[in-house]
Amino acid sequence: MAPPENPPGAGGDVARPAEVSRRGFLTQGAAAAAGLAALAAALSPLRHLKEGDLPTAEEFLQKHYKEMTAAEKARVLGRIQEQVKKRYGVTSQVNDPPPLDGVEFVYGLNISRCIGCRKCVHACVAENNPSRAPEIQYIRVLEMEKGSIDVETANHRYDASQVPRPDKWYMPVQCHQCANPPCVKVCPVEATWQEPDGITVIDYDWCIGCRYCEAACPYWARRFNFTEPQIEPDQLNPDLAYLSNRPRQKGVMEKCTFCLHRTRVGKLPACLEVCPTGSRKFGNVLDPTSEVHYILKHKRVFILKADVGTLPRFFYYFDERGSRYHDPLEGAGQATHGEGA
Amino acid sequence: MSFLRSFWVPLALLAGALVLVLDPVPFVSPVARPVPVPDWATNTNPVRQPKLVPHYVVAGFTYQCSDCHRIIPSPRETQRRLTQHTDIELNHGLNTRCFNCHHPHNRDAFVDDFGEEIPWNQPQQLCGKCHGPVYRDWEHGSHGRLNGYWDAGRGPQLKRRCIECHDPHHPPFGSMTPAPGPDTLRMGPSLPPGHEGRRDPLRIYSAQAPPTASH
Ligand code: SF4
Repeated sequence: MAPPENPPGAGGDVARPAEVSRRGFLTQGAAAAAGLAALAAALSPLRHLKEGDLPTAEEFLQKHYKEMTAAEKARVLGRIQEQVKKRYGVTSQVNDPPPLDGVEFVYGLNISRCIGCRKCVHACVAENNPSRAPEIQYIRVLEMEKGSIDVETANHRYDASQVPRPDKWYMPVQCHQCANPPCVKVCPVEATWQEPDGITVIDYDWCIGCRYCEAACPYWARRFNFTEPQIEPDQLNPDLAYLSNRPRQKGVMEKCTFCLHRTRVGKLPACLEVCPTGSRKFGNVLDPTSEVHYILKHKRVFILKADVGTLPRFFYYFDERGSRYHDPLEGAGQATHGEGA
Repeated sequence: MSFLRSFWVPLALLAGALVLVLDPVPFVSPVARPVPVPDWATNTNPVRQPKLVPHYVVAGFTYQCSDCHRIIPSPRETQRRLTQHTDIELNHGLNTRCFNCHHPHNRDAFVDDFGEEIPWNQPQQLCGKCHGPVYRDWEHGSHGRLNGYWDAGRGPQLKRRCIECHDPHHPPFGSMTPAPGPDTLRMGPSLPPGHEGRRDPLRIYSAQAPPTASH
């Protein structure tokens, strides 16, 4: 660290032992002081630590979700409930609904009907407690030119006064819950995995925030908490689940879970319930009477980026040509109440 | 001078460390306040709330359709200007006749292809007269809205009828104002309306820079 004392050939001084050692002492002393100060500076963020920023011993020793016994799980759920109460002042219900037997979820989206209104985006935010600022949203509604499907040039920041725009079409994208999920394969600590009902989940307490999965996902479905998530207490949805919408902490990954706290108790996902056009379809693909089963069997279906081999459980479909009656009929009179109108 | 020359490295380190420890420049987060989301964006009600009963409201009084139509017969030919119900503008493609849908004798019902009555609360039977493929898709759940439970064994399913989304006199699903778009970091002012390009990440640091000309 210290500069070389009296570099050879610097000229002038002829080194005398006593002086040199004094200078050396000062140099090294100053360097040591600087080092200590630098250490203090490096540690200085610790001064801003708030209560709750550091994990408690219990949190630190918590096991992986899959290794927890029922009793340990119950304790953890209780702890989360307390933390939510402390942090937001909200009385919540933290559950851990198990996957249902004989159920595999799939999601269908009718691109003939979606008008790009983004209601699904905000219903999802209201349901799943992601950070409001910085903003985390699981659903992106892509706007593309009619006649093309180029997601590279798609625009999800469109700001039209009215949608749908006549020369555009809309394709919402969210987690595809792949049967062959690249995000799960890359996770170095197995903090994310696929459940028996097809939902890929994240243990937010196990995630180390390396963001490999975000990079591996071909659908840009994963979102990272770069800062402490901000949610107003009155915006917090108190119906929580360990693997889905419980409040996250800084430095962990999150994504769409098909609203598993709703869907595993039989309810429809929030994005589906709010869609004004009925473009969104959800259900158990193993049930031959389900809507999604009918759609997969009878409609024209495609999956996004089929060539990457992810086998998504989220598919797009469209209706027969001409079944959109708002496509104007050529030559049809716009007659209203008769000849004069 | 020679002192400075010999000690500049530790001095620089010290100065840097002091800056770090004393923290004279406060950290300003570039994350802006959350923007409020309008309530309609999360409202799960369908776009229309039809009554599904043959009622007509005038001046605060509710009448059964047949209250008037029992007494006052309508002319057979309907390709004419209406003298009543002038708020209705029939704009339903090639379907320009009232009695294609409304029962000619019992105004509390719709009419099927054989002149029989279709109850007022079963509009899908009426619409299915012409819109076969859509009716088929609606029956199987590929068209239309469902609310409540995907698993009928666990809770109620609310299957929305045609006219809860479509105005029968003007059926195309209307356009609407989209809910606010993403602004990932909620940093700085959002793009001026009409601007479709990407955000310029540098623009947020020159807060006073005028917005790029919108087109
Ligand atoms: S709410 Fe429905 S219509 Fe609106 S953008 Fe989402 S999928 Fe499309």
